[in-house]
Amino acid sequence: MTSYRLDKGGLIDRSTALRFTFDGALHVGHQGDTLASALLANGVTLMGRSFKYHRPRSVITAGAAEPNALVELREGGRKEANTRATMIELYDGLVSKSQNNWPSLDFDVGALTSLASSVFVAGFYYKTFMWPKSFWEKIYEPIIRRAAGLGTASKLPDPDKYEKSYAHCDVLVIGSGPTGLMAALAAARQAKRVILADESSRLGGSLLNEQEEIGGTSGYEWTQGVIAELGSMPNVTLLPRTTIMGWFDGNIFGAVERVSDHLRVPDPYEPRQRYWKIHAKRAVLAAGAEERPVAFGGNDMPGVMTASAMRTYANRYAAAAGRSVVVFGGNDSIYRTARDLKSHGIHVEAIVDSRKESKADAAGTPVLRGALVADAVGGKAVKSVHLADGTHINCEAVAMSGGFSPIVNLACHRGKKPVWDAKLLAFLPPDNGEAFTVAGSAASRMLLSECLADGAAKGAVDGKPITVPKCRDEAFAISPLWWVKESHGKAFIDYQNDATAKDLPLAAREGYSDVELAKRYTTTGMATDQGKLGNINAIAILAEATGRTMDEVGTTTFRPFYTPVSFGAFTGPFTGHHFQPVRKTPLHDWAEEQGAVFVETGLWMRSSWFPREGEDWLASASREVLNTRGAVGICDVSTLGKIDVQGKDAGQFLDRLYCNTFSTLAVGKARYGLMLREDGIVYDDGTTSRLAEDHYVMTTTTANAAKVMAQMEFAHQALFPDLDVTYVSVTEQWAQMAVAGPKSRPTLQKLMDELVMTDESVPYMAALEVSIMGGIPARLFRLSFSGEHAYELAVPADYGSMVARAVMQAGDEFGITPYGVEALSIMRIEKGHVAGGELNGTTTAGDLGMGKMVSAKKDFIGRMMAQREGLTDPNRQAVVGIRPVNPADRIRAGAHLLKQDDTPSMKNDQGYVTGVAWSPMLDMWVGLALFANGRARHGEIVQVWDGLRGHRVMAEICDPMHFDKENKRLHA
Amino acid sequence: MLIPCPHCGTRPVEEFTFLGDAAPTRPTTNDPSTMEAWYEYVYLRNNPRGAIEEYAHHSGGCRSWLVVSRNTETHEVFGAVPARDFTRAKGAKA
Amino acid sequence: MPETAHMTERTFNRVSPLQDVALQGRFGADKGAVGVTFTVRHPMSIITVIARAGQGAATAAALKGHDAQWAGPDQYFVLAENRGEGALYRELKAKLSGLASVSDQSHGRVIIRLVGPRARAVLAKGTPVDLHPDAFPLGKSALTQMAHVGVHLTRVGADSYDVSVFRGFSESFWEWITEQAEEFGYQVI
Repeated sequence: MTSYRLDKGGLIDRSTALRFTFDGALHVGHQGDTLASALLANGVTLMGRSFKYHRPRSVITAGAAEPNALVELREGGRKEANTRATMIELYDGLVSKSQNNWPSLDFDVGALTSLASSVFVAGFYYKTFMWPKSFWEKIYEPIIRRAAGLGTASKLPDPDKYEKSYAHCDVLVIGSGPTGLMAALAAARQAKRVILADESSRLGGSLLNEQEEIGGTSGYEWTQGVIAELGSMPNVTLLPRTTIMGWFDGNIFGAVERVSDHLRVPDPYEPRQRYWKIHAKRAVLAAGAEERPVAFGGNDMPGVMTASAMRTYANRYAAAAGRSVVVFGGNDSIYRTARDLKSHGIHVEAIVDSRKESKADAAGTPVLRGALVADAVGGKAVKSVHLADGTHINCEAVAMSGGFSPIVNLACHRGKKPVWDAKLLAFLPPDNGEAFTVAGSAASRMLLSECLADGAAKGAVDGKPITVPKCRDEAFAISPLWWVKESHGKAFIDYQNDATAKDLPLAAREGYSDVELAKRYTTTGMATDQGKLGNINAIAILAEATGRTMDEVGTTTFRPFYTPVSFGAFTGPFTGHHFQPVRKTPLHDWAEEQGAVFVETGLWMRSSWFPREGEDWLASASREVLNTRGAVGICDVSTLGKIDVQGKDAGQFLDRLYCNTFSTLAVGKARYGLMLREDGIVYDDGTTSRLAEDHYVMTTTTANAAKVMAQMEFAHQALFPDLDVTYVSVTEQWAQMAVAGPKSRPTLQKLMDELVMTDESVPYMAALEVSIMGGIPARLFRLSFSGEHAYELAVPADYGSMVARAVMQAGDEFGITPYGVEALSIMRIEKGHVAGGELNGTTTAGDLGMGKMVSAKKDFIGRMMAQREGLTDPNRQAVVGIRPVNPADRIRAGAHLLKQDDTPSMKNDQGYVTGVAWSPMLDMWVGLALFANGRARHGEIVQVWDGLRGHRVMAEICDPMHFDKENKRLHA
Repeated sequence: MLIPCPHCGTRPVEEFTFLGDAAPTRPTTNDPSTMEAWYEYVYLRNNPRGAIEEYAHHSGGCRSWLVVSRNTETHEVFGAVPARDFTRAKGAKA
Repeated sequence: MPETAHMTERTFNRVSPLQDVALQGRFGADKGAVGVTFTVRHPMSIITVIARAGQGAATAAALKGHDAQWAGPDQYFVLAENRGEGALYRELKAKLSGLASVSDQSHGRVIIRLVGPRARAVLAKGTPVDLHPDAFPLGKSALTQMAHVGVHLTRVGADSYDVSVFRGFSESFWEWITEQAEEFGYQVI
């Protein structure tokens, strides 16, 4: 037989021919196939090698829990490792590769470890590669990882889009089998907003896989009617190919919709995957139950699979796992398996029932009662089975069933543990209240009629119930069947991590009998499938080995995600240029015209310098400084935070926020303010202007704008709620430009409509509302960060670039230049103005030389704590200026200061350099520093020690103001 | 986690910034003898297992400061009130 | 406003920050009807009004007849088209004197209008606010975040929404939101 495709049946479209490759070999499948079913139908049963022993593996399941058939899917940037062949919908042109083998899947050198496997027991790596310790990272680990890897990731960028979306519903139904469909229908008919999600490509759940009868028709036909009705209802959203992967606080569910994974490439403009955050008022989990394997020798051999998987391959995919089959288990589902296989013309050699008796109908298949399969015999494929009593049966495949574990994962994601039911031999979901109920076989309802009724009841908790259709039930009874100890070969519990049944008693013997410890010792349940198949078996074996009940052992912790989620889904669109939003100033266009080089400051793009041909940043910034100090310059300062503060108590509110006083500020004037944190440390600084009796506009530093706003909101709402004050950010309303230099006044004068600018009409620290350029409302401040005679001009943002161009034109006759934040920074260091380097979260007003600003007459944030001994100690480091003794030397920011003859040590540390600049005015490097008892030590010569860069120069401590100490230029 | 903002309705926790226990009250005196009370107000916060009233800023929404009552163990959220009302109520009690 | 008032209002050439970005045309999926139509509402007068202590109700009453959108507790955005520079600001400042603080944000915010059958689906990619008509009726506004940017969102029609963002973020936000509409096909008019 070259093909294992059944002649008829299945939900596949035989008129299609989808070509695909597996390890380079070309195969053909049909629409409706998964990669797993298509491989099986093509007679390919060897699909991968196991993690540790490199054993040949095929599919064990037909669904999401698959631990074995993990393949590399697609190529190049779209390559994805560890994809489950059982979940990959076949498409034309699909390219897949097996994993974890060398040099080939068929002949794998790594399989030799299997021969030496008696030494490779659980804990082997931990015990063996302990010494020498230094070998672990460089030698042992890389070798082990190469031998034990699970596929390889692509190093190319993923070319596809990912998306995120929110969704809201009254009822989220998870799973679309008989239970889920009834739940969705019941809720939808009550006009509830319903989302029905299922991880499979098609809705219908188990009814697509099984031979059932509902309402006088086949289970499949019945699903089509219900899905059509749901699909026609505007209050229902159907989400096939969508895995609900986590349940979070607030009844929020995370979901991944595989929008385009079933296509060779996504359609244009379609994402590959969409990550949903679903806010559900109520949820019904109808995820069904997972069939458990049985631990017997060779239970991982290609051809051995769960009974329901074998039925699914035959019923849904028209693919036979083998020409002759042995069915083995300890519950009644093995009988329907035999019947289904027989109906497809697959020969069932025998039903091996571990129980002495059963009422189920074997339909003529020989039944061996009280018998156990001890070993599957073969290699890369099953050839026969040995029973525990020595009987030998030839067969090509084994269907096994140890029982059913309700898929309770989601119900346990918020901390509750499932509860063992000794009669049903299943962990039942915990009670999570009305907002999250579990229905159907996920709640251990084993009969179809029970599932339909339970779904209908839980879908509609109140209101009119819907009629539950009649159906045919399969009888169900079960006895425990975990581990056939008569086995000779390896009996696997965790297929993906190659943990065997014997590892668990070993773990118990070595003292790791706690379920969480046993998990980590044996690695059972730690693979990408998170123990979906094996964990319950492991608990049972551990219970037996330690003489405890299942309840006493308990389960390990269920955590999101139910199945692996790609990084792309979490990232969504927020990658590349959407990684974070970009914030542009209103003068951005103008700055671009002027050739600005931009620098990111927080999210803002600020113009950093404006190079002319052949200039580097330093040459450009130096020229900008000389030009500004020599004539006039213009700088974009729009990024400073601007906050409108209004109200009867606005002045009083500012008095609380700042350590100095604003209620006394005259209308039309600005004042520099220093804001402390409640612990007495300086928080922010800036100028605040009074535009009217009840209207101030305050400015913050660029970096702290949002934080200061939040602090104001807290101060008002939580601390001083009775103040009549309002505040709102107007940062973005205004384009603000500093115009500085001896020619700033004649430049700006040309723009003024009426104002005649003199020292009297616009004195130092004036803040005026003016009209410019024929009626544009503007604000004019006489402020200076550069130390020059300077102004800041604010205009409504949409006029920003236009006004900046007008300023440039007006200043043309004086040789105006645009300058950026680099030049600004040089000028502030020349003038000894503090900025971020000094306002660094460790300094007090006193440290900054502003102790006199601190009011003793009023309450303000930080007042009390600023008076603490440690914050008023004269030996604290204070801001000083620093300049090299030899003017040719360079000082570097971050360097530490030591007394002349001291050696570098923590004890000898006197402070550090907070900022330096090449001063084009002084022709040398100058800086600011924090220096112990600094103000009393001007004139002292110190070592500037830069251990990081191996650099040491001598420097003189001086007044922070390096340039124009008398501030003549400011008032010129 | 969902926070019932009294102004915006129920919103996910991503829109909020938390500041910790809202129980401490800012001292009203600047007398040096009250430094201990100030120290406690500035530095000491409870982090109980169980019920707590916490400051939360609806920074991604209406920008109101709220006091959210919730259970740190079960993650249950009981409600949220404007910080303004919380402070006034505390003042009325004192 | 009476006609005469307009006569005295002066306008200047306002440059939208989206002038070079929001180009007209049809984009994204090109089969069938467009899912969303984008318009940049510019130039606009946008005024922040915040009631002074105890004046919430009086402020709300005084704003009757204006296009006032809720923008926080006792706080509104008052909008108008075709007003001169600063005109609405001055008008409201006079009218609300003693009742509320008034700040001009006309240049500080950019309003993008989305109209069409998929407008809601596009917005749901950004905001956790439930936009179902039962939960978000006509005229309702919300302050929320989309793509890490604070937005003011208003339902202005059956399938029409205004999204207002800070000017500085508008270009970045425009690129994001139009990309989210690509799968539905969108046009910019």
